[in-house]
Amino acid sequence: MSDIFEFNGAAGSGWSQPEPMMEDAADTVPPSLRRLNLPEWPRASEPELVRHYTWLSQRNFGIDTGFYPLGSCTMKHNPRINERIVQLPGIDRIHPLQPEHQIQGLLSIFYEMQEMLEICAGMDQVTLQPVAGAQGEFTAIRCIQEYHRSNGENHRDKVIVPDSAHGTNPASAAMCGYDIIEIPSAEDGRIDLDALRAAVGEDTAAMMITNPSTLGIFEPEIAEAAEIVHAAGGQMYYDGANFNAILGKTDPGRMGFDAVHYNLHKTFSQPHGGGGPGSGPIGVKSHLAEFLPSPLVGRQEVEDGGATGDGYRYFWKTPENTIGKVQQWHGNAGAVVRAWAFYRRYGRELELMSEHAVLNANYLRHQIMNPDTETLAGIEVMPVDGAPTDVVKHEFTLSMQPLKERTGVTGKDVAKRLLDYGYMSPTLYFPMIVPECLMIEPTETESREVLDKFADDFLAILAEDPELVTTAPHSTDVRRVDEVWAARNLILRHPGTE
Amino acid sequence: MYVALCENSCNEHSRASQFCLGRQEAGCEDLDQLPNLGREQEMLEAMGLQSMDDLFSDIPEEVRRTDPLPLRGPQSEEEIWADAQRLLGANIDLDSRPSFLAAGLARNFVPTMVPMLATRGEFLTSYTPYQPEVSQGMLQAMWEFQTMVSELVGLPVSNVSMYDASTAAAEAITCAVRVKGRKATQKGVVYVSQFVPPHRLSVIENYSQGGGIELRTLEHGEDGRINLEAATAAAGACAVYVEQPNAFGELDEGVMKLKEIIGENTALIVGVDAVSLGIVEAPGNYGADIVVGEGQPFGIGPTAGGPIYGLFACQKDYLRLMPGRIVGKTIDEDGKDAFTLTLSTREQHIRRHRATSNICSNETLIALMGAMHMSLLGPEGLERLALRVAAATEATKQAVCAIPGVELVDPDTPNFREFAVKLPGDAGEAIAHMDEAGVLGGLDLGDWWDSMSTCLLIGCDERTSQSDIDALTSALSSWIEEVSP
Repeated sequence: MSDIFEFNGAAGSGWSQPEPMMEDAADTVPPSLRRLNLPEWPRASEPELVRHYTWLSQRNFGIDTGFYPLGSCTMKHNPRINERIVQLPGIDRIHPLQPEHQIQGLLSIFYEMQEMLEICAGMDQVTLQPVAGAQGEFTAIRCIQEYHRSNGENHRDKVIVPDSAHGTNPASAAMCGYDIIEIPSAEDGRIDLDALRAAVGEDTAAMMITNPSTLGIFEPEIAEAAEIVHAAGGQMYYDGANFNAILGKTDPGRMGFDAVHYNLHKTFSQPHGGGGPGSGPIGVKSHLAEFLPSPLVGRQEVEDGGATGDGYRYFWKTPENTIGKVQQWHGNAGAVVRAWAFYRRYGRELELMSEHAVLNANYLRHQIMNPDTETLAGIEVMPVDGAPTDVVKHEFTLSMQPLKERTGVTGKDVAKRLLDYGYMSPTLYFPMIVPECLMIEPTETESREVLDKFADDFLAILAEDPELVTTAPHSTDVRRVDEVWAARNLILRHPGTE
Repeated sequence: MYVALCENSCNEHSRASQFCLGRQEAGCEDLDQLPNLGREQEMLEAMGLQSMDDLFSDIPEEVRRTDPLPLRGPQSEEEIWADAQRLLGANIDLDSRPSFLAAGLARNFVPTMVPMLATRGEFLTSYTPYQPEVSQGMLQAMWEFQTMVSELVGLPVSNVSMYDASTAAAEAITCAVRVKGRKATQKGVVYVSQFVPPHRLSVIENYSQGGGIELRTLEHGEDGRINLEAATAAAGACAVYVEQPNAFGELDEGVMKLKEIIGENTALIVGVDAVSLGIVEAPGNYGADIVVGEGQPFGIGPTAGGPIYGLFACQKDYLRLMPGRIVGKTIDEDGKDAFTLTLSTREQHIRRHRATSNICSNETLIALMGAMHMSLLGPEGLERLALRVAAATEATKQAVCAIPGVELVDPDTPNFREFAVKLPGDAGEAIAHMDEAGVLGGLDLGDWWDSMSTCLLIGCDERTSQSDIDALTSALSSWIEEVSP
C-alpha cells in the first residue's frame, strides 16, 4: 500500500500558477505573523496524483459498482445529468450574497423546490437552508422551541422519540437543550400508543418519529399518535428519512405533523459522496413558519416577464421571528439544483418512484423469505422478519438471531460475506430493537434480475459452511478490519518525517 | 421520456400504476430511471398480489392521498438540460465580470483534475464507509485529508469535515464547553470576538441553545485589534473564539498572545482563512486548542454557498469529545495496513442523545476535492497561492485608498483577502452604481452591522487582475464624483 505522502519528488508545486501580481507580497504580512515552516504536504505532479486517486477510487464501493441495499440510506442511482448541471457557471461560480437581480435563475429554482416540497409533504412553508437531515431535525426543533417560548411555554422541556428512531433524532433534540424520553415500541414494532399516552404531559415539547418506521412499516395509528401529542400541547416532527416510500400516497401533513425534514440526498438523488454532502430542507405548518431560518425565497408578478421569462421577480425574504442561520449561506444550493433536476424528470409522477421503491422492497423480501424447497432444504435456519406484516414499505428488517444461536454466525458475518459476492452490506444492527438486525432497502432503481440474484446469493450464504461466513470477507481489498486496534492505537494522521 | 411518451395514450389523471400498464400498450420502451417499469404485474404476481394498491393497503384511508400530486409533467434529460441552461444561464456568474465580493468565500480556480476524479462513481455514489473492507479508497483519502489539515493548521487531530466554517465554529464552541466545563471558573461562558460575521454568530447562537452556554463579546479596540486588556476577563471562561483574519480581513498579532492571557483552562478557538496559512503563522503554533475554517478555497467553487466544507482540527485532549467522523489507520485480520472509521462511540448512531454532535452526513466528497487540490498544490504551491491573494489584496487596497474620499476603516492593520473602506455615502448605493458599470464591487457592511452602512468590504483573490482593479477604481471613483458635493 502506498499513501500520498510517499510522493515527495517534484520540485515546487504539482500545479503551476501565475506569479503573484506584486513582487514583495510577503511583506504585506508583518514578520511576527509570518509562518516559518510550510505544512508537510505531498510534492507530486498531476500524473502521479491522477493515478493515486484513480487507484483509491478503485478501492471504493459505490452504487455504480454494485447493488447497495443499505437500509435507511436510500442508495438509489444518481443521474449523471445532475453532475453536469452543477458544473454550469450559473451555479458553480455564484456567490450567495450577489444582488438578487443577478441570480434570478437560481432563486426561481429555489422557489420551485420550496413549492414542490411543500406540496409533497402537505406543509405550508419550506426552507432549503439545512444541509443535512440531522441539521434539518435540529432546525425544526429550534423552530418548535421558539414557538413554545413565544407562547410563554418555556416549561416544555421534553422531546419524545420511539426506541426505533434514528440516532440523530435524540441527538438533535439534545443539542437544543431538550431532555429525551424514549418510548418502547409495541410487540409488532409499531408505536405503542399506551406508552405514548403515559409519556406526554405538560412538559412535552415535541415528538419525533419517522413513518414508515425504521422497520420499514407504516404506522397505521399515526393520526391518533398526533392527536395525543397535540392534546398535550406538543408538536409533531416527521423525520423524512423514509420519505421515498410514500410520495404521492400520503403525506406528513395529512398524518398530523407540524414539521418535517426531507433528505434530498436520499429521496431526490443527491449523491451521498462517501458521507456527504447532503441537504436537509424542512417544511412546516403555517404556525411555525415565522420562526424558520432566514432567508426564504419569495416572488411577485412583474409585467416585463422577469429575468427568467416566467412573469415573476424573485427575492429573498426574512421570516418575522426567524431563528437566524443554521448554515452560513443559503444551504447546499448545489444539492438543491441536483434535486431539482431529479424532480423535473418525474414531475407529478413522483408517485411512480415510490411505488417502485415499495414494489422492489416487497419483492426482495418475498424472494428471500420464500425460497424454493430445494434451497430451503440446504438452509439450517432462516432469518425472521423484524416486523411480521403483510407488506412493508421501502425497506425491511431481518433478524439473524436464530442463525447466531444455532451456528454462531452473526448478522455482521452475513453482512461481511455479502461483500465477497460483490454487494454492499445492508445496514447492520439497526434498529436496535431487532436482534442481529440486517436492514435492507433496494430502492426503485434496481432491476428484478438484480433482486433475484441477491436473494439467491443471500440464501446461498445461509447454506454455507459457518466457518466460511464467520471469516468473511475473503476477496476484498483488505480482510476483516480490526476496529479495536484502530481505537486503541489512534493513528489519525501520517506521522510525517520528523 | 417514459412518462411523457405515455401521456399521449393515457388519461391525464390516470393513476401511476395504471400508467405503467398503459406504457406497455403504447409500446414505450424507455425505462430511464426505473428498470422494472412495465414488469410490475409479473413481480406482484410472484408475490401473490394483484395490484400496486395492495402494496399500500397498510396506509389508512383517512391519511391517503387520492388525487394526483399537483405538479408539472415529467421531462426528458434533454428538456431538463435545456431548462437548467436557460435558468442558470440567467444568473450573472462571478467570472463574467470584475468581482470583489468574497465575505469568506473564494472566487478560486479549481484544478481540472479535481472534479473529474472526485466525481468518479466509486467515490460519488458511495455512502459513509461503514464497511471498511470495501471502502479503503475513501477512508485512505480522508486519512490523508486529516493529515494535510493537521499540517496546515498545526494541530494533531482533524475530522473529515463539518458543514461549513460557521457550523465548525459553533461545534468547536460546544466541544470546548464539554472539555473545559468542569475546570472553568466562569461556567458555560464563551467569549466571541466582536468582529465575527453576523451570520456566523447566528449559527453559533443557534448551536449554543443546549449546553447552558452564555455567549459574551470579546471587544476590539478602536484600531480594530483585539483589546488584550479586556481579554483578561476571558481567563477562566470555557472558551474564546476569534478569527484570523477577522471579518474585515485584518490580521492581528494580538491573536497570537491570547492563549497566554486566557490560560490553560480556557480553550482558544481560532477561525482561519485556510489559504492564508501559506504565509500566516498556523494557530496550532501559538497555542490554539481548536482551529476551524472554511475549506471551500481548496477544492470547489463558491457554488452559491454550498456544498462547501468546514475544517475542524484540535489538540488531542479534545479528541474524545469532538464532533464528526474520524478515520484511523489500523490492520486487517492478516496484519495488513488498513483504514477504518474510529471513535464512533462519540457519534449519534451509537451514543444517541449523549452524542458529542448530531452530525451524520457531512461534506466528505467536498473534503475529498479539497484533499486533491491541496495535494496538487504541495507546500510551495500553497505558499504561492497565499502570496497571490496577499499581493492582490495589497494592490487593490492601495489603488482603492488612492481614490479621494475613500478611507480604510482600520488604517494600520495588515489585510489578507479583504479590507473594509469607509465611503462618502451609502455603500449599498455605491454597489448599485458599480453594478451598472459591470463591476461586483463588494459587500455592503451595513447588511452586517447597521452602524457600518457607509462601509464597503472589498474582497480579492488569486485571480484578481490589474484590469479588475482598474475597473473597480474607475467605477467607484465615478460614483464618488456623483455623490460628492
